[in-house]
Amino acid sequence: MKKERRENSISFFFGLIIFLVLLFPLYWMVVTALKTQVEIFEVPTPLWPRNLTFEAFIGQFNSSSSTLQGFKNSFIIATSATAISTALSIPASYGLARFRFGSKKLLILFFLMMQMLPATLILTPLYIMFSKLGLLNSYLAPIIADATLGIPFSIIILRTYFLSIPKELDEAAAIDGCSPFTSFFKVMLPIAKPGVIVAAVFSFVYAWGDLIYGITFITDPNKRPITSNIYNYVQQYQTLWNATMAFGIVAIFPIVLIFIFMQRYIVSGLTNGAVKA
Amino acid sequence: MLKELTLENSSAHAKPKKFHISHKKKLTSQGKMGFLFSVPALIYMMIFVGYPTLSNFILSIKNVNVFNFSRPEAQDIIGIQNYVELFTDANSVMVRAILNTLTFTVASIFFQFLIGFALALLFSKKFHGSSFFRGATMISWLLPVTVAGLLFKFIFASSGGIANQLLMSLHIINAPIDWLLNGPSAMVAIVVANIWIGIPFNMMLLLTGLTTVPADIYESAKIDGANKIQTLFQITIPVIKPAIMSVLTLGFVYTFKVFDLVWVMTKGGPINATELASTYAYKLSFEQFEFSKGAASANILFLILFIVGMFYIKLINAEEEVM
Repeated sequence: MKKERRENSISFFFGLIIFLVLLFPLYWMVVTALKTQVEIFEVPTPLWPRNLTFEAFIGQFNSSSSTLQGFKNSFIIATSATAISTALSIPASYGLARFRFGSKKLLILFFLMMQMLPATLILTPLYIMFSKLGLLNSYLAPIIADATLGIPFSIIILRTYFLSIPKELDEAAAIDGCSPFTSFFKVMLPIAKPGVIVAAVFSFVYAWGDLIYGITFITDPNKRPITSNIYNYVQQYQTLWNATMAFGIVAIFPIVLIFIFMQRYIVSGLTNGAVKA
Repeated sequence: MLKELTLENSSAHAKPKKFHISHKKKLTSQGKMGFLFSVPALIYMMIFVGYPTLSNFILSIKNVNVFNFSRPEAQDIIGIQNYVELFTDANSVMVRAILNTLTFTVASIFFQFLIGFALALLFSKKFHGSSFFRGATMISWLLPVTVAGLLFKFIFASSGGIANQLLMSLHIINAPIDWLLNGPSAMVAIVVANIWIGIPFNMMLLLTGLTTVPADIYESAKIDGANKIQTLFQITIPVIKPAIMSVLTLGFVYTFKVFDLVWVMTKGGPINATELASTYAYKLSFEQFEFSKGAASANILFLILFIVGMFYIKLINAEEEVM
């Protein structure tokens, strides 16, 4: 008993150290955003702000700043991409989990491979395609491209969810006279709801984090997503670190919210999506 | 199929055969339904990923650049010339980029895996705060890589960067290092940043693997007098080998195609020291406007990922027969 308790506190000690070390960069980001430029370049730089200032944050909400516009653009792009990705992957994963057909294995392989493609592979052809369709500098270009990141992942995740639902439920619904479509909407979808949330969360996180499609398809500063805005900001104001970090905090805000409230779903998504595939 | 039918025919009982056929029929109509459900997603991916992949290949055997980009009549098919030039041209950094990508990937995975495995072993124990600590460390994996990259650019900044200050206060270095301005140290910086991003992914997958190890194996090992290191190498690692292989191959694929992090931190510099296959392909296409060369280099990256990806798919196929 005594030995167990000692082991417990040793584990706690290590856990705490790991927590502090791994989260230090985030702490540093917040602290830097609350410092003055002078303090940032002081040697040695203080580990917490002595003259706490919110100036860097206030600057982000200034009318001349591109932060809020970028936030809005990212929000439109990421939610639309999530909507497309979820709407297409729900039926696909249901079909791939519940039915037997000849090309099924091939289709699963197809979606698995899609997840592994580098963005640079399709970037130029998509650029040409979008320029022909007149979609460059519109939200639609990154929306379409970002959805291709979410779809394969969502299908793989959701398929494992549908696989875990007992087949008898389908059969019972069929006996009660449900067509495959009604049983899909009335029986399957409500049960698979946690899976749908996981898929949507990941699609959103992928789309929100995208940089390469944003900087390539959109050059109009008013339509850029927040990731390419912050990238351009840093190119311009190299060492304005407090403002950059404040900008970064605004940019990660929705992701941190999702992380806090959806952690359970994220963990299950990460493990189901990659190991069980 | 044919074999099955003959077997059925030769069977003495007529009744089961009939049942079998009607069952089959039901299956095929059901199968059509299943396929139908997948069609929208399939079409979408075919148009926006499948077709571009094919068209990228065609682009790579042409000579499209900024001069003939909008004039298809001035574009010719030149076969594998782009590929040859990528490897033989004096000013091409393709080989350098592949070697850099390998260094970046192997170094990242090595440390991510070791740290992730250690954390998984720690957090597989139940202790006060374990699920909180474990959960909180996940955040680095979810952050937009662009922001993580900027954060580490600041951490490794020559002046004002905390990395220099920390190392100097520990007397590991005497003067500040220009991390991102020297080739080798810039590579170290991007690897460190990437390790930070990737630790949670390794930890979570290995943790899931660890939960599959039956507790009674550990019990009996203990009874047999095995110490902790013996247990780790002779029981834990062999049992979770599938999870380990998954983490390593998936990690390889994800790391090999990293773009954002390096683009934000070093843009491939200084003087190509951190140029990766992905950043080089991007530069060729969208900075030098050598679209066909860019396409060819992206295809080389794709080929490498494809081979490793196939290896991964074979792994999970062997693991799970449900497919």
